[in-house]
This record gives sequence, C-alpha cells and structure tokens, in this order.
Amino acid sequence: MLDNTRIAEHTMTEQRTKISARKVQVYYGQNHAIKDVEVDILDKTVTAFIGPSGCGKSTFLRCLNRMNDTVAIARVEGEIKIDDEDIYAPSVDPVQLRAKVGMVFQKPNPFPKSIYDNVAYGPKIHGLARGKAELDEIVEKSLRRAAIWNEVKDRLTAPGTGLSGGQQQRLCIARAVATEPEVLLMDEPCSALDPIATAQVEELIDELRTNYSVVIVTHSMQQAARVSQKTAFFHLGHLVEYGQTSDIFTNPRDPRTESYISGRIG
Amino acid sequence: MNDPHIVSSFDRELEALQATIIKMGGLVEDAILNGAEALLTRDTERAELVRKGDEAIDALEDIVNDETVRLVALRQPVSSDLRLVIATLKLAGSLERVGDYAKNIAKRTSVLAEMRPISGGDATLRRMAREVQAMLRDTLDSFVRRDTALARDVVARDQDVDQMYNALFREFLTFMMEDPRHITACMHLHFIAKNLERMGDLVTNMAEQVIFMTTGERPDDNRPKGDRTAFMTATD
Repeated sequence: MLDNTRIAEHTMTEQRTKISARKVQVYYGQNHAIKDVEVDILDKTVTAFIGPSGCGKSTFLRCLNRMNDTVAIARVEGEIKIDDEDIYAPSVDPVQLRAKVGMVFQKPNPFPKSIYDNVAYGPKIHGLARGKAELDEIVEKSLRRAAIWNEVKDRLTAPGTGLSGGQQQRLCIARAVATEPEVLLMDEPCSALDPIATAQVEELIDELRTNYSVVIVTHSMQQAARVSQKTAFFHLGHLVEYGQTSDIFTNPRDPRTESYISGRIG
Repeated sequence: MNDPHIVSSFDRELEALQATIIKMGGLVEDAILNGAEALLTRDTERAELVRKGDEAIDALEDIVNDETVRLVALRQPVSSDLRLVIATLKLAGSLERVGDYAKNIAKRTSVLAEMRPISGGDATLRRMAREVQAMLRDTLDSFVRRDTALARDVVARDQDVDQMYNALFREFLTFMMEDPRHITACMHLHFIAKNLERMGDLVTNMAEQVIFMTTGERPDDNRPKGDRTAFMTATD
C-alpha cells in the first residue's frame, strides 16, 4: 500500500533526531533503575513512554533535563545529547538546559502568584523580554498556545492557584512554553484531570508538536495511542520496545509489550 | 495462546465471541453439505431445510456484529486482542456470505427438481462441495488453534476448487451446445458451480484473516489462482 493513501494522521514523515541517548544507566544508591537505554527521540514528534509503575520511564524522562541532578543519591551514566550536544557536559548550565527543555508535572503546580506572574516568571529570569510590552506579548502568546487565554484574559492578576485543575495544568503548560523550549517533557500531565480537561490538554499536545519535540509519560495506554506518534515501552529499567505508536498497539514485537498493553498477566 | 488477561471477564467475552464464530461455521458447513446433497438427490425437502437454516446463520452474524462493536467500545482491545476482534467481525461477514451461496444452491435445487435430469457434472459438484466444506472446516480449526500452517494450506487449496469449476464450466457449455433444451438446467447448474467457487474464495479470505490475526502480517498476494473461465470461449 502506498503511504499517502493511509487514513491516519499519525503516520507522518520521519523527523530528524532531537535527543539521542546511548547506554544510559541511572543508579539510585545501590538500585540500578535504568539499564542500557538507547533511544533516538525525534523532533516535532510526540513520543510516549509507557510501562508499569517503577519501570523507569519517569526516571529516564527526568534525565532529559537533568532533573535527577537534584536527587542526591542519583547517578547518571552514559550519554544524552540534544541537537548533538552532550547535556551532561561540565560546560552545560542545568538552569539554561531546563529553559530549553521544559517540563510539566503530574500535579498542576502553579506558583502562588498571579496567573500573569506564573507565565512571566521564566521569561523574566532568563531575560527573554525587553520591557513590559514585550513581556505582555510573551504571556499572551503562551497562554494562547496553551489554549487557556480566553478563560483567563480578564483575570490575569488573579492567583493561579484559584483556577480549576484542568486550567491550572494548562497554565503550567503555558509557563513551560513561555521560555520557548525546544523539548517539552510531560510526566503524566493528565492523570489529575477530568476527561474534558484531558481532551483539551491532548489537543494542545498535538498542536505543540508542530514546534516542539514532546515526550510524555503516561499510565493511560489509550492516551499514548491517541497523542503520540512514537511509543517506548519500559520494563524493569530496560527500554523493551520503541517504534511507531500504530505498530506498538496493533502488532508489538516483544511479548512483554503485548502482555502489558493488552492487560495480560505477563 | 496468549497469557490470560488480568480482567478475566475480558477473556470470557473473547472466548464467547470465538465460540459464536465456531457455531456459525458449523451451521455453514452443514448448509454446504446438505445443499449439495439435496441438489444431487433432487431432494426438495432437504433443500427447504437449508433455506430455512440460513436465518440462524444470519442471526449469529448479528450477534457477532453487536458483540464486536460492544467489545471495541468497552474494552478498547489492542494488539492481538484487537486483531482477534477485527478478524471475528470479518469472518462472520464471510460466513454469512457463504451461507447465502448455500441457500442459493438450495433455491435452484427446487427449480432443477422440476426439470429433466442432466447426466454429468454431479460427481464434480459433489467433490467441489466437499472440498469447500473441508477448507472451511480447516479454516475454523486454524482459527481455534492459531495454526497458520493449516491456514496457508487452505489458501493453496483454493486452486483445486477453481480447477473443478473450470472443468464444469466447459462441461456445461458442451451440454448446452449439444442440446439447447439443456440450457435452463445448465444455467442453474453453472450458477451453482460458480457459487461453490465463490465460497472457496471467501473461505480463502477467511484463512488469510486467520493468518493476519495470528501473525499481524498480511499474507503475500501471490496465491495461486485457477479460475480461467473469464478467458474461455465455446471454441476452446
């Protein structure tokens, strides 16, 4: 069958590699949490990490913007490159890295500040705006991108913590995109949201992929199937299978993937 | 087979779905054999039973259709489960068509019983019906046992059915040329042979579904095809 006769939007042309990981190991003290993970994550693509609890998917996600640096007992080995640059090189400033690699967490965690300040915080500390007008512009653009502008434009000075859960999560996404990151990491961004808010965030993720490389950790297989083009299945610290989402969910190669996604006792 | 699901009611539903296909398949096998036997013995009562029996096959197809829709909506099957559910849906559709062809044979039997019998063709029609029924039986077995080798064997055997159809085509053509009074009966008999040949094609599709369901790969499309009647003329 010719590729251009396919119905699904999911099948898309391969993008270039944005993040490449080679022989990545993570240790939490004695615990070997990530074992020999090698993966090429593509630009302008949504990649889903799935796997049972404790399989290492969140740990690996946190390696991608050096969030594990903040964990005293964590040790990362191997090589992770973003745009061919080693992010663990001594010359790399983790704070700058995290501006380039944004992150959204499971529980919406807006700062106890106004909606405006939540979004303006990143651009301010990274000096991305010259003057108030430019900052206003960034805030509006980010809130629009996170599909929440219309809901909050009349109360930008209200506290971010006063929004609903779904709105808070979209506010956090607005905050994450305000620094113009190139990669967006999302650690179960919808697990605390209702189906409507989930759909809004999923729609947003699909839009974000025109500009970013999005990596999402999710426990919902249906969500991985809905939003991602690539899926990686983690099990006991290993990356078991990585491929087109449509292949993983119709005909996975590894029996462990099959058992996990179809809800079997593996 | 795969490991059981953590949610055991899902397994029970998938098993019930497969059992429905097997039941449907059994009824269709009977319809083929009884239809052919009724034809060869010009037994109109038996033919009538085949015609009536088609309703049960149609009803089972409705059950499969409803159940697969429900399963997809409520269980959201993926991977081999998804392929099983989709294959079941398609198998039910094919079985229903095969059942219709058997019913059509039975209908023509009632007409043929009123006509002058034609000598010849019977042995081949019987062999054809038996082969199609055997192919269907093996397809259903391959479905239950996830036996792709058996399914591939079925796919290869369709060629034999096609060849028998070619032979009958020629034979009926000859009869009709010899005596125009045979034309009506021969036309009916030809449709019956064509029905059996179509059944063979549908059963072959079913076997291919079983291969896809089991392996996730579509079989190559270079299977042997033996129906050459599209190119035949009376002078061949």
